[in-house]
Amino acid sequence: MELIKIFVKAKCPKCPAAKEIGMELKREGLPVLHYDLDTIDGLAEASFHSILSTPSLIIEDEEEREIVSWRGMVPTLQEVKQHLLGTHLS
Amino acid sequence: MANVIEMKEERKDFKEEFETTDMALFVRTSEESMNDWNRQRIVDALVRETYVDIDTAKEIARDVEDLIVTSKIKMITAPLVRELVDTKLVERGLEQARKMHTRLGMPLYDVDQLILHPNKENANVPHGPEATNLTLAERIKKEYALLSVFSQETADAHMRGDIHLHDLGFVDRPYCSGQSLEYIKRFGLSLPNSIAMAKPAKHPEVLLAHMVKFAAGLQSNFAGAIGWDSVNLFFAPYLVGLSDRDLEQLAQMMIFEFSQQAVARGGQAIFTDLNLYWEIPKHFENVPAIGPGGEKTGKNYSEYMKESQRFAWALFNVFMEGDGSGRPFFFPKPLVHITEKFFQTPGHMDFLHHICEVASAKGNTYFIFDRGETAKISECCRLSFKLDQSDLEDAKEPWKMRYCALQNVTLNLPRMAYLAKGDDTRLFSKLTEFIEVAIKAHLEKKSFIEKLLSVGERGPLALLAMNRDGSPYLRMHRASFLIGMVGLNELVQVHTGKEMHQSRQAFKFGLKVIAHMKLLVDKLSERYGMHFVLEQTPAESTAYRFAKLDLRFHSPQSGHIVKGDISKGEVYYTNSTYLNNSAVINPIERVRQEGLFHPLIEAGALTHIWLGETRPSKESLANFVIKTFQRTQNDQIAFSPEFTTCNVCNRTSRGLRSSCPYCGSQEVDGITRITGYFTKVSSWNKGKIGELHNRYRNQAYIEDQKGETVLMTG
Repeated sequence: MELIKIFVKAKCPKCPAAKEIGMELKREGLPVLHYDLDTIDGLAEASFHSILSTPSLIIEDEEEREIVSWRGMVPTLQEVKQHLLGTHLS
Repeated sequence: MANVIEMKEERKDFKEEFETTDMALFVRTSEESMNDWNRQRIVDALVRETYVDIDTAKEIARDVEDLIVTSKIKMITAPLVRELVDTKLVERGLEQARKMHTRLGMPLYDVDQLILHPNKENANVPHGPEATNLTLAERIKKEYALLSVFSQETADAHMRGDIHLHDLGFVDRPYCSGQSLEYIKRFGLSLPNSIAMAKPAKHPEVLLAHMVKFAAGLQSNFAGAIGWDSVNLFFAPYLVGLSDRDLEQLAQMMIFEFSQQAVARGGQAIFTDLNLYWEIPKHFENVPAIGPGGEKTGKNYSEYMKESQRFAWALFNVFMEGDGSGRPFFFPKPLVHITEKFFQTPGHMDFLHHICEVASAKGNTYFIFDRGETAKISECCRLSFKLDQSDLEDAKEPWKMRYCALQNVTLNLPRMAYLAKGDDTRLFSKLTEFIEVAIKAHLEKKSFIEKLLSVGERGPLALLAMNRDGSPYLRMHRASFLIGMVGLNELVQVHTGKEMHQSRQAFKFGLKVIAHMKLLVDKLSERYGMHFVLEQTPAESTAYRFAKLDLRFHSPQSGHIVKGDISKGEVYYTNSTYLNNSAVINPIERVRQEGLFHPLIEAGALTHIWLGETRPSKESLANFVIKTFQRTQNDQIAFSPEFTTCNVCNRTSRGLRSSCPYCGSQEVDGITRITGYFTKVSSWNKGKIGELHNRYRNQAYIEDQKGETVLMTG
């Protein structure tokens, strides 16, 4: 099963929009994890995925391999869903 | 200060009631004259050096005098008298006074050993009278630092091996520095205390002479590396119209001058880093160029690309050739910046092949990756200064671009894991505790250096206080304070049961530790208004020292953790955030994985690719470099071949061998990279020897393809 990871920081103007997408996906029953880069776990996870800017969103497979990512930008809900089609949203 | 006391034979029957001036004891002073024994000297010293009241001082002096007389010693030394005084202070519970009254120095046996045997703490220090002087001075300054510069809490943490305070023997200097040639191009060589002032150079050879002399001056004022920014570019205005032959000659002079400086401080070559660019760095494109005589040439630096590139090429021709016996030059180190603009600059592939050929043949090249808008000056084994907005503003007047790291403090990461006993909360609180001690050490060192600098150009750090452009040479407000780490791999191993390359969870835990360090030093930087940054400490001797201390304090557990050969004492911890040196990992994957830590380690990081005796093609190394730039976050890589140099026939062969393949002599020495520089293996400490045995030389990833040796990247 794919996993959606969203990386944000407190002082980041576009981050609320990314968080909102995460909330929406969660409401639809999708597995979403939020990481705050101002915390140890968040920064470590971001480093593991070479995330250097916020907001970023990645979709990965069960082996933590990246399927697609948006780095330093916010995708539309539709764009994210496109990559999940055929799995959770079928 | 008196250092030897002799008692005359005929007055051995000295009685207590005698006045001290009657005592026929003679004191040989440091002026090499003989002074009469005088009890009052003990009193004077106690009153001058400690807070002891005069009556107590008199009492102690009398007690010591009694002791000397009744002991019937024929000859005693001044250190002994001082120790006797100290015992009296201890008997009276005057601990602080005893500390203040301490005598710094070394036992006769140690000095004897030192003069006869080489010091292996730093492989860049040869053995000789100058080196002995350096070590003797370092020993005393080290003791002074631990007693007087740092608080007891900090000193104890160092002595225990929780942390390592680097270069204590150079406590009265900052750690290392990066500078711009523009400073001497504009102001000439006008150093405080110098007996002659030189105006700005008019010829390239003179500029080189100024550079070398200034470097030697800086070496006397910094403990470690002296880095130079954009050397080929800043030389360029002096090189217009120079023939290829003259240019090559100048390049040769530069490299030999810096590689043969082993006649200066303690016989130690100046740890010199030359930052080189194929392109014109973006921040210098529109900067007016300074040329002969310190005058502006009327052109911007962007108009000197041809000369700049020709000089960089010529420098690598010299590196390719090696020294007089074909050995790689140990210094200066060429650091080539690989940037987005590098790949847009004509001729970059030819140049990349050129520097990769040198990397494969001799190992000299360091590849520094400045991705995106990042710009850096690199120095030391891996230290770099990332240029922020105000630095880029300074770039318009490049002589202002001088940087320093004031001190380096390294944390013993495995120690925290032993103490935490598997408990996460305890581990992270230990980490916080150790960082706080490191910060305290930085505050103490800063305050000490500020005291020395406050005397200005008449003080001990005159060169750093000199003011030629409206601010002192050392710009304290731009100083960095380094926090290094040793043994992340072993911390993770103790805490999770796996080494970082053995499981993803273990690797992620390693990232968590460094993330905690990064967030904490950022917070503390804000709190103190100072620039604390993480650095991958080169840890040439620290990785050995920590491992030895943990074997003493945390056995038997540490016996299963330290790397190397315990039976031979060749033990070490894996350096900084590296993966285990002996792990069989695809080199590009090692570069990628180790590179994941690099964005967190702002002050510089490096991944080694050990080549052993193989010599991969320049094309395959260039391919490796490009992939590293494009697909990883790695800050810096270096390829390290190994050599054997023969002390009989003076020829150099590939690989580490026990005898010379040319003449068969066993009088040979190995040469390879110890940490961030090349040196002879015979000068390495035991820990590094242990690591050398364990290094995985990527044999499985070096293949013969169509008659070419190739370093695999897939």
